[in-house]
Amino acid sequence: MRRIAYRFLAAINPARADQARAGTGTLARSCWAQLGSCPGSRQRLLRKSLLCAVLASAAFVPANAATRPRYGGTLRVMLQSAPNTLDLPARATPTDYEGTTYWDTAHVLSLIGDTLLTLDAQDRPQPALATAWRSDNSRRHWEFTLRRGVSFHDGSVASPAAVAQILAALHPTWNVHASADSVSIDSDAPLPSLLAELALPRNLLLKRNANHLPVGTGPFLAAEWRPGNLLKLAAYEDSWAGRPFVDALEIEFGKALRDQAIALELDKADIIEATPQATNTSISGSQRPSTSSSSSFSSSLPVELLALVFSSNSKAQDPRLRQALALAIDRKPIQSVLLKGAGETTAAILPNWMTGYSAVFSTQANPQHARALLAGAQLPALNLSYDPRDPQAQLIAERIALNAREVGITVQVSLSGAEDIRLVRIVLPSPDPTTSLAEAAAQLGLAQIGHTQQTPDDNSLDELYLAERGLLEGYAVIPLFHLPLETAVSTRVRDWQPDPMGGWSGPGFALADLWLADGRQASPAPDPRHEAGSQ
Amino acid sequence: MSFRKKLLLLFAVTVLLCVAVISASVYSTIRHSFEQADRDRADAVAAQFRSEFQRRGSEVERKVESVAASETVQRIALDVDRGASDSSAYVSAAHMLAAQQQLDFLELVDWRATILSSAQWQAKFGYPEAAIADAATPPTASPAGAFLKREELPDSATLGLFAVRIARVAEQPLYVIGGERLDQAFLSTLDIPTGTRVMLYQNLDPNWNPKSLLDLNGPAAGSEKIAPLVAKVRDTQKESQGVIHWSSDPADAEVFHAIPLTGPALGPSAQSANQPGGTQQLMGVLLVGSSRRPLIELQRQIISTAMLVGGIGILVAVLASVWFAARVTRPVVSLAEAARRVAAGDLGAKVEVESRDELGELAVSFNRMTDDLAQQKDRTLQAERVAAWRELARRLAHELKNPLFPLQVTVENLMRSKQKSPQMFEEVFAESTTTLLAEIDNLKTIVSRFSEFSKMPQPQRQPTQINDVVRSVLRVFQAQLQEQSQISVHSDLSEALPEVSVDPDLLHRALQNLVLNGIDAMPEGGVLTIRTARLGDRIDDRINARIEISVSDTGAGLTQEECSRLFTPYYTTKQHGTGLGLAIVQSVVSDHGGKISVESAKEKGTTFRIELPCETGHWQTGRT
Repeated sequence: MRRIAYRFLAAINPARADQARAGTGTLARSCWAQLGSCPGSRQRLLRKSLLCAVLASAAFVPANAATRPRYGGTLRVMLQSAPNTLDLPARATPTDYEGTTYWDTAHVLSLIGDTLLTLDAQDRPQPALATAWRSDNSRRHWEFTLRRGVSFHDGSVASPAAVAQILAALHPTWNVHASADSVSIDSDAPLPSLLAELALPRNLLLKRNANHLPVGTGPFLAAEWRPGNLLKLAAYEDSWAGRPFVDALEIEFGKALRDQAIALELDKADIIEATPQATNTSISGSQRPSTSSSSSFSSSLPVELLALVFSSNSKAQDPRLRQALALAIDRKPIQSVLLKGAGETTAAILPNWMTGYSAVFSTQANPQHARALLAGAQLPALNLSYDPRDPQAQLIAERIALNAREVGITVQVSLSGAEDIRLVRIVLPSPDPTTSLAEAAAQLGLAQIGHTQQTPDDNSLDELYLAERGLLEGYAVIPLFHLPLETAVSTRVRDWQPDPMGGWSGPGFALADLWLADGRQASPAPDPRHEAGSQ
Repeated sequence: MSFRKKLLLLFAVTVLLCVAVISASVYSTIRHSFEQADRDRADAVAAQFRSEFQRRGSEVERKVESVAASETVQRIALDVDRGASDSSAYVSAAHMLAAQQQLDFLELVDWRATILSSAQWQAKFGYPEAAIADAATPPTASPAGAFLKREELPDSATLGLFAVRIARVAEQPLYVIGGERLDQAFLSTLDIPTGTRVMLYQNLDPNWNPKSLLDLNGPAAGSEKIAPLVAKVRDTQKESQGVIHWSSDPADAEVFHAIPLTGPALGPSAQSANQPGGTQQLMGVLLVGSSRRPLIELQRQIISTAMLVGGIGILVAVLASVWFAARVTRPVVSLAEAARRVAAGDLGAKVEVESRDELGELAVSFNRMTDDLAQQKDRTLQAERVAAWRELARRLAHELKNPLFPLQVTVENLMRSKQKSPQMFEEVFAESTTTLLAEIDNLKTIVSRFSEFSKMPQPQRQPTQINDVVRSVLRVFQAQLQEQSQISVHSDLSEALPEVSVDPDLLHRALQNLVLNGIDAMPEGGVLTIRTARLGDRIDDRINARIEISVSDTGAGLTQEECSRLFTPYYTTKQHGTGLGLAIVQSVVSDHGGKISVESAKEKGTTFRIELPCETGHWQTGRT
């Protein structure tokens, strides 16, 4: 954000920009003063947005604000997942969403490619490759005006035709047409959530080169790819959003969380994944990396859902048994102790910050009611599995088994044998609740276990609530917690802006915007985004 | 059974008995020794287990003490005492402390008996700890000693050796409950003697659970066979013993000593755990098994050795008995042979005297006896000969006296008539002459009878059917018997008689005499019965086979003395008998190698039995 603000100021008033290089406060004041000269509502919008961004930036990195951005250096990122391909499956199954591989791949690809637009945390669309968009009243016809002068990493122009070709391949049911400077999308069915859909990582506009590496229009281009091990990205000099401050980005895959913590401690990594144990005070300190001055932690909004999912061939086919299990689980101790207070308990799929109604779904444990439901019922022993890569999953699963035992349900926590219940962690990828609900249903496999994907046709909250309630009927899924994505960052990294949605690229928060303390002095080539989208 | 066989049997039985007695004695001694050794081993292992139990208990106490005194626990105790409600900071503390102290179990429990942190089940925080919660009064001081306790785990339950310490740095106590598993790892620390193994049954379930029976490698195989022994200990809570047969081979069996392991029934409170009479419950059963293979193999070796020794002993006994019997029985056999010769009438048989022992004295006595018998026989013969001559003289006098008296009277009548009545002389002469001639004839008859007896011919043997001879005799008397209708004849002749080699004429004559005697014995009438029968066990055993001919009457019978003298020549019970009939019969029977006997009872009749051997050698030889 500081990069955009700085570049914005430099583009419209280089003199003030030079003055602003002295510090953030000067930069904010300079921006504010400069915005005062802009006319009309557009001026007010820009002024508000930029002000928020600058203030947020000043609030998050006050210590680093006094330092001017530096170019250069290699940003080192470590991830637990180990993707073997840089492709996102066109039609992902629940299995594809297991673990973090899918979303880590999506994050990586978001550095290479762009979507037509993005959504901010308030579910507002923000321009990306598309600078403007509009639709008819039926929401069946959409038009997107593309940013001019954008080229792919291979040098080809990101023309409407090229974009339309990619979109048509991604969505065969759409009629995608290119015009001189825009792309139109037609559908037989209304597409009320098209903007949120297009902001999803699966709609990144990417091509493939001869080595089958992704080629996009993003700030980084793929330089070296060792499947499951390492991805090296290089700064794309001609990025439409401006060259990233860092020269390169190295992402090491397959690193256990403990190894990541050690690497961060030894200054061998700049950004790692973290767990609540690491981000909260731990008396044992066994898994907690040093937090003295070598790293800082950040959390996203609670965009992960931890839930129990009954398999299609589960022995718990009786909804009363499932309901009893849901009533037996005491979420609060798990959230306060095992999750170190992170996240929030829930009985809904969508988090409260997204819908505002999740409190309607009660999270209160009620063992008496559970025992009453189970009276006289045949109770099979249930096998509960979890993701062994998740450091918290086993303890949570064991606690659930303990709660279940209290009401008479035998739950065995095991990674072997046929699973009856699985403790899953899914990502709600979009701030748009409708889209996230649909994505959650897909990831939870609800359609596979007899539920039809019930998404509302419009953005009505009532419709959304009914759809979510419909998905939860029968207790095929027992939502437990909404959790944030945790990240630990070394102090070498400056201007780190955590993404409220946990991503790596978005409006106001991108890896491309951070710089390294040991980089060379910045000499920016001004190319700010200066257009805003409109419907 | 011969003396030699008896001697052999005696030797064999003696050897077998000796071997059996020695083997049984050794067997019993070894068995007793093994059982004692088993008990000693079981006691030693049990003592070692208790010692190891004490040592590990002390070690657990020391570790728990160390945990309770650690800075971490002290800080937690202070936090808890201050009412800190966030236990998330402690959830993994027990795990870390347990790892540091190498404890399998460790729980930090606050004064409300709520688990703050559990190493063995981290998810159990916030739940009550039964060891504290179930106690009548929570301990206020660290109880001494370690104790057995059932410990619930996420997927199962197990048995542990626990100790409790109280971290009292603040007003409220913080309980530290730590322990180690009592499982196969614990068993592996015991020094088990060869041939012995140890198993542990964790008494975790109300019913038998085969998975709770552990040996050094984990769950023990074939645990169902152990179940009754464990059930017995569970019922009685006392040490027990049993033999477990793992297969049909007795050598695979093991003797198990089951030793109960008890622990406090309600947690580690002083009242229950450490005070006498406190409630105890069975927490486990220690099973010390000793293989019976060495005993069985030794028993088998003893049996095989005994059989070998017995066999050799029997062989030696046979040889010894043969040698000894030959040495001992040779004079006896000679003696027996001499006795047989003596019995056959050879009174000159002598036995060679080879030794001066009892057998030698016996031989001397035997020779002396034969000499005496020979002298006695000579004397008897002389006496009998004298008696016979006297009897003959008496008979002759008697027989001759009867005709001589009429001769004398007749001659005296002639002389008296010539002297006193010459006119009558002629008439008297004629009558006297007739009388004289008659008496002379009578004398001739007497003389011819005696002559006939003295001229008994030798039998002319030929194959003869005895029944044919009997029938011919009956035919001779048929007419006479028909006239004397008061005598009935009954014949019972066996048709299975073989032909025998006899003189049919002599036999006919003998039988005729017997029949005649029978008829004479029944002047008032009666029943005359003639039977023939075959004597002997087997038909084809001609050597021992005999033919019996019996002639019975129902007359007045004879006295015992009469019977004894009946066959003496010239002895008769008849008024006009010569006494030669039965003597002739006996002579005929004797000449045929047979024998005759008489049975008689007063007023019931007399039966004569003739037994003839079924000898065929003569006529068979003659035929060929």
